[in-house]
Amino acid sequence: MAERIGVFVCECGPNIKEAIDLDTVVTFAQGLKNVVMVKSFNLLCSEAGKKLIEENITKNNLTRVVIAACSPREHEHTFKKVLSNAGLNPYLLQLVNIREQCAWVIKNKTLATEKAKAMIQAAVERVIHHEPLESKDLECQMDALVVGAGIAGISAALTLAQKNRKVYLVEKSPVIGGKVALYEKVFPTLECASCVLDPVLDKVLHNEQIELLTLSEIQEVLGFFGNFIVKVKKNARCVDTKTCIGCGACFEVCPAKVKNEYNEGLDERRAIYIPYAGALPNVAVIDREHCLHFQTEGCNACQNTCPFSSINYEENDEVQELRVGAIVLATGFDVFDPKRAPRYGYGKIDNVYTSLEFERLLNSNGPTGGKILLKNGQPPKKIALIHCVGSRTREYNEYCSGICCMYSLKFAHMVNEQLPDSSISEFYSDFCLPGKESQGFFNNLLDKNGIEFVRVKDLDSIKFSEKKGKILIQYKTINPPSSTLLKGGKRGLQDKNIPETLKSDPFDMVVLSVAIEAAKDAQDLARIFDIPQGKDGFFTEEHTELSPASTIKEGIFIAGCAQGPKDVQSTVTQGQAAAGNILSRLIHGEKLVLEAITATVDEDLCSGCKICIGLCPYKAITYNSPESPHTPLWKRGAEGDFEGDKGGFSDKKENLATINEVLCRGCGICAAACPSGAIKAKHFTDKQIFAEIEGLLNTNYAKTSKMSLRGTG
Amino acid sequence: MSSFEPKIIGFLCNWCSYEGADSCGRARKEYPSNFVVIRVMCSGRIDPQFILEAFKDGADGVMILGCHPGDCHYKEGNFNALRRYTLLKKMLKQFGIEEDRVKLDWVSASEGDKFVRVVSEMVEKVRVMGPLMLIQKKQLKNHREHRGNL
Repeated sequence: MAERIGVFVCECGPNIKEAIDLDTVVTFAQGLKNVVMVKSFNLLCSEAGKKLIEENITKNNLTRVVIAACSPREHEHTFKKVLSNAGLNPYLLQLVNIREQCAWVIKNKTLATEKAKAMIQAAVERVIHHEPLESKDLECQMDALVVGAGIAGISAALTLAQKNRKVYLVEKSPVIGGKVALYEKVFPTLECASCVLDPVLDKVLHNEQIELLTLSEIQEVLGFFGNFIVKVKKNARCVDTKTCIGCGACFEVCPAKVKNEYNEGLDERRAIYIPYAGALPNVAVIDREHCLHFQTEGCNACQNTCPFSSINYEENDEVQELRVGAIVLATGFDVFDPKRAPRYGYGKIDNVYTSLEFERLLNSNGPTGGKILLKNGQPPKKIALIHCVGSRTREYNEYCSGICCMYSLKFAHMVNEQLPDSSISEFYSDFCLPGKESQGFFNNLLDKNGIEFVRVKDLDSIKFSEKKGKILIQYKTINPPSSTLLKGGKRGLQDKNIPETLKSDPFDMVVLSVAIEAAKDAQDLARIFDIPQGKDGFFTEEHTELSPASTIKEGIFIAGCAQGPKDVQSTVTQGQAAAGNILSRLIHGEKLVLEAITATVDEDLCSGCKICIGLCPYKAITYNSPESPHTPLWKRGAEGDFEGDKGGFSDKKENLATINEVLCRGCGICAAACPSGAIKAKHFTDKQIFAEIEGLLNTNYAKTSKMSLRGTG
Repeated sequence: MSSFEPKIIGFLCNWCSYEGADSCGRARKEYPSNFVVIRVMCSGRIDPQFILEAFKDGADGVMILGCHPGDCHYKEGNFNALRRYTLLKKMLKQFGIEEDRVKLDWVSASEGDKFVRVVSEMVEKVRVMGPLMLIQKKQLKNHREHRGNL
């Protein structure tokens, strides 16, 4: 049966009508093959216009519609709805942009008319090849997985945890709270960190919708948005979390001593331990690697001592399978190891600390109970804080870690409070103090005694050496007198104007503001979750400005320093944003609506060459072989209900490319690359585009424009 | 000089360049009517066969306009377009088509001015090159082969 095409031409008030001779266009369109009716109208997007189209579709039994009007960006959506209302599939429409790309850009009416004719002919020839498309929907898991129970993961988990939505919060360490739990105070408020954090952690522990899995690691992730299947390995704690009250009786009797990683190795813990006082959940854990019971099978000291019989050496590691609709990766960061930069003498010279170590020294639950002490037990008289250690240098990390200036200033505030008679020197090259609070935080220090700001020409030129038990710092300063810099002095000082002097000063203690780096296990996680990392190892966001909490893998979101260095405030914001993304897409009682314009593989044509697989930016194409880990589970003989799983992958033949419709965004890159022409980019098929090319070139337009009229541009 | 007006087909990505062409229209910036547009979702969708088809059907020049490197809506589709374009240019020469009849450029949604400039330059360039006479060329080639056989 021949198609019945209706062509509607919009006058757009005077906009199109005055620039194009619409009578000629209408007459021309009437003569085109398969066109059964042509109508021009004052304003097709008006209620009357929409009604006109709808009525004519029904009256003339139209099977295809061409609308020559404005840009698809403007009204494609409007007219698709009109088709739907008339009972026609909305994808059987072709819009012709005769306003933005014809009437408004060509002054010569004859030429504009000819171009409009060509554009309409192309649309008429193209629309014949249109296929009705349906937006598929998919049953989804409403539950979510959050990996990492630092402040980012916790913020996401608490935002997600709602009635009927379970959140699995997976944390590899025995405690929650992440790095923030290790700090005494947070900037810019100098509020006590545990006052900020503990109520939030309590909420997590008591929220019935959040299932916390500590000591757990992700082993495998299968599936896609809406239907992920995640394998989690839960390492044995060997202590019953239900009966242990964290009294500490067990660690007093434990004979095995190990450096305490939660105090950055500054003191020791036992093999059964709680990382730090006040750690949550407040439950002991056995470090089996160092526990004598496991190493020599001789010791039962803790079991014999525990008043609640909570110790269970027999507990085994478990692998749990979780089914979730979406995932938030909030796996945090590690810090730059200053041993990589020998000039700082870290690890060789006493009393040189990283900022994270210094956080523990300042912390009331840290190794010194919060007292700033030298190795010899004395308080330091002169402390140097070195900025940008491992940041802003091409040698290590080119980026600015963003938070070091602020935490160095926090240290200055805190040292000044604890040791008002000690002097503090901040060695910096530039200050990064954005936002509404930071500059004030800096300015408040200016009124205090004993704080000096030393502007160093090149932080990489700093050298440390040991001299008579002190740390000698050699540096090139370009420091103007502090009064001029700090009190309304000129900004953006030119290096050439400032004399450079070589100086050296002794200090008792040095704190290195070490860079935030991608977590050491980021690469493993990237592989498990199949998401990209940037050149610095942080997980790459989908779009820097517009989708900073998403990844290119639909349904996998990122938050906190796993995505890049940031402070607590931004981390919480991103955690909540990631959760918000999930809440707005996975809605109870609703299916996940998928993009209708996707690509499909014709399995009779696909030769299994795999060219397309590497090209897909969304990793939506997999090679469908029985051995492939991406082959849908139901095909691999796994048990259970995989209805949702099937919705994404179709049950295809083996050894072919398969496109997952959930992940596909319809860019068509694969279709252009397929050497066998097996991939069809829906709504932008080869046939449709060939027809459009032919339509554009087979009109009189080509001949007319060749006639004359140069210099129209 | 002849009064030859070339016919140029432009393949524009939906997100940057098509929007750039629209913004040019909204600002009523005039450009040659010789340029007609085919919208694709991504410049990475452009199969070199589309370009060959356009030449076969009578286009004198073809433009590929996509998002700037790094700005692709689909991350890296424009790089695919660039690679195919580079290869296609080499191939065109073997077909007897001047490689300058194809041009790839990056036009963002806000670059209405750049759009006008690159389109006008292309039209001018192809106008100077004259019409692409594939059929004549083919006939000429056939004729020579025929004579060679005699």
